[in-house]
Amino acid sequence: MFLRIEKGSAVPISRQIAEQIATLCASGTLSPGERLPSVRELARELAVNQNTILRVYERLVGEELLEMRHGQGTFVAARAKRGQLAVHRERLVDELRQIARQAVGLGLTSDELHELLAEGLDGVEQPIPANAHEEQTS
Amino acid sequence: MSTPVTSGNSTSDSAIDLQAVYKSFRRTEVLRGVTLRVERGKTFAFLGRNASGKTTTIRMLLGLLKRDDGAIRVLGLDPQREPLELRRRVGYLAEDQTMYGWMKIGEILRFVAPFYPTWDHELALKYVRDFELPIATKIKHLSKGQNVRLGLVLALAHRPELVILDDPALGLDPIMRKQFNRDLITHLQGEGRTVFYSSHLLYEVEPVADEVAILDEGRIVRQADTETLRRDVKQLILGREAFVANRRLLSVLDARSDDERMVVAVDGAAKAMELLRYEGVEFQVVDLNLDEIFEAFVAGRRDDTAASATPQAMLEPSA
Repeated sequence: MFLRIEKGSAVPISRQIAEQIATLCASGTLSPGERLPSVRELARELAVNQNTILRVYERLVGEELLEMRHGQGTFVAARAKRGQLAVHRERLVDELRQIARQAVGLGLTSDELHELLAEGLDGVEQPIPANAHEEQTS
Repeated sequence: MSTPVTSGNSTSDSAIDLQAVYKSFRRTEVLRGVTLRVERGKTFAFLGRNASGKTTTIRMLLGLLKRDDGAIRVLGLDPQREPLELRRRVGYLAEDQTMYGWMKIGEILRFVAPFYPTWDHELALKYVRDFELPIATKIKHLSKGQNVRLGLVLALAHRPELVILDDPALGLDPIMRKQFNRDLITHLQGEGRTVFYSSHLLYEVEPVADEVAILDEGRIVRQADTETLRRDVKQLILGREAFVANRRLLSVLDARSDDERMVVAVDGAAKAMELLRYEGVEFQVVDLNLDEIFEAFVAGRRDDTAASATPQAMLEPSA
């Protein structure tokens, strides 16, 4: 599992790690049932406080992306909810807010901004509805 | 004067406890009422600019300097009264620790060992192996990074409960700093020791520290974990008039203006935002990185506008 910590970023380290793990799960790089490094191992690997790693794991367990099995370690949940995770949502809302701010600064109206978003979506593959996806993977 | 209400039970679970500590050298007041507490088992980063009083504080923790006023407890001991007992239980790495350059690593280990009743030579040799130190090499031929690691071996081999490191990462390149952080995590946090270390780089300590305290002009201006710090300290951009009208209600760390807008770093951001919304003020919020937060505390300009000289009133937000 390769994670990248950006020091001196405005994004807290715990959030950087949580988001990257969530992204690895969403993209399938980490597959359901796969075992994650132990808290100790990952702390050492990233040179990050063990408590920070533990908090990230606990948070992602809370979001049902990961599961802790007693005495065995931390695993990617078998039926991980994808694309609807709070970590991702927070980041998206943040970034959209910034973009909106920029747009307002440039003098765009709300309609024009929606139009631009639709235009941006055009180039992107049509998303599979979340429940259809879950049926496929289970 | 009054009954000691808090100190009694707070000291038992704290590794370090400073209450209103003052220190002057001749007419220069270096510490002006430093109060801070480090819980046992925590990794605590002590931050400040150069010459802000970090080393003075650390030397007092070890009983190497006398305080002018205030109280200090380290592992429940007064370092001024029981320096020897204290030094047995504390590992210490001084800033730019000088060691006899002509000694080989193996020699200095044997030289230092008798000073500590609890010295564990097997452990010292294990650290030497873990840190990949060349045991038969003379100290003067070691690199800066190897020197720090040797200092750590000497500070750790008597299994201290508390480790105090004075700017250990100073002069290390980025690769060695990361390695140092890794050493801290593996060999100190991993073994449940309390670590108190100083630095002037907030973003360097963020990955490692459970908590930080910022020392500025002889006082602790903030003590918190880094995530709380990030949550509480934000930049607000708002109109100049709105700022002036509400300034007294904000805990301003830094305020700068262009023609009609103010760019303001505030502590207690949630409260400030709630207040501004209540007042119907329009504003933008910008997240700051830790360097910017540190800068706001230690180099912030607070007297940029006509507003009164209210000092850092609400620095300690109530939960």
